[in-house]
Amino acid sequence: MAIDVFDDSAKERLSALADGELDFSRSTASCAAWAGNAQLRADWHAWHLIGDVLRSEDLASSPRHDRLFYAKVRARLQSEPVVLAPTVAVAKSASRPFDFDRRSRRWTAAGAVAAGVVLVVGTFALVRPADSPPAAQVARVDGSATTSDAAPAAEAAAQPVAIVADNKIIRDAQLERYLEAHKQFAGTSALGVPSAFLRSATVDSAAR
Amino acid sequence: MNAPDADAPLVERVKQGDVKAFEMLVVKYQRRIERLIGRMVRDVDLVPDIAQETFIRAYRALPQFRGESAFYTWLYRIAVNTAKKSLMELKRDPLVTEAARAGRDEDDDNPRVENEPSDAATPDAVLASKQIASAVNFAVEALSEDLRQAITLREIEGLSYEEIAELMNCPIGTVRSRIFRAREAIAARLRPLLDTREGDRW
Repeated sequence: MAIDVFDDSAKERLSALADGELDFSRSTASCAAWAGNAQLRADWHAWHLIGDVLRSEDLASSPRHDRLFYAKVRARLQSEPVVLAPTVAVAKSASRPFDFDRRSRRWTAAGAVAAGVVLVVGTFALVRPADSPPAAQVARVDGSATTSDAAPAAEAAAQPVAIVADNKIIRDAQLERYLEAHKQFAGTSALGVPSAFLRSATVDSAAR
Repeated sequence: MNAPDADAPLVERVKQGDVKAFEMLVVKYQRRIERLIGRMVRDVDLVPDIAQETFIRAYRALPQFRGESAFYTWLYRIAVNTAKKSLMELKRDPLVTEAARAGRDEDDDNPRVENEPSDAATPDAVLASKQIASAVNFAVEALSEDLRQAITLREIEGLSYEEIAELMNCPIGTVRSRIFRAREAIAARLRPLLDTREGDRW
């Protein structure tokens, strides 16, 4: 409030901004001035009130009413997460993702769980009759682990059995600990290779 | 009324994290949104609440606003939806005049409500509104022809600076300056009515 007296050219730019006639780049200074100066805010209100009244007299409203209205909206905006462009949005709006995102994420998780269940059943069907040493190893792990182990297990049933199984065992202790802490994401791994799973699950959990 | 992209710079600023730019849009559209809601909602006490909710929802949804319509058109839809939702929640009866006029799902047997400011609850507010309206009209009459024409073409006809420059046969910079000076002159007449004793909370 006690900042500075703005010269007419600064006010004229704000007036042009009110009409959408100021470049984006030049609007930065005008918006900052508006935010920092009560007189400019009062001008901004007066100009728009004038425009409204010129268009329709019934838009004249009491300044006291307007001021109370803004105070309430401003207070509510302060408790809102800041709206940002996508690149920065993850960090800033993480605490409150939009419903759309949340819903799609939920469906992804549900789908992953369903796929995991199918894969486990399929794995037992495929692996049991074979009964080769690596497959048995895999089956044993399956028995003790969650559905998340289904994907490597299913791959294990195919040609490079030993390699996948080895990978899995090497990674398993770590994965187990991780999944213990993030049980709700357990199914996600069924859809991708283990390394991809690790990365995406980290993002998911951070976003929640 | 406005050129479709008149709010584009401010909207863009909001998308980049400038909350104050959104406040500027609130100040710009609050009266129109309240009038719109006032035509749908019988209870005048509810109007400001629903209007506030409208702006908060718009703020949250702004990342999804792609600029395919004017910002105000988009905001208008949010206001209508917010009002309908509030009415359903509160199980009150709507006067769906706006929706009827827009030819939506409502039948149009509701007579249009007389235009009244939604804060018509108190006589003081009504008086203040009337004083402001007459002060604005008086101040516009007192403007020089150039200034009056410029502000009228802008605010009532909704023309761009370029169009006004063409009509008035002068450079765009002159249009910008005339509109600004017209606003300042009218605002100077309004100031005694706008300044209140409660201190400046703008």
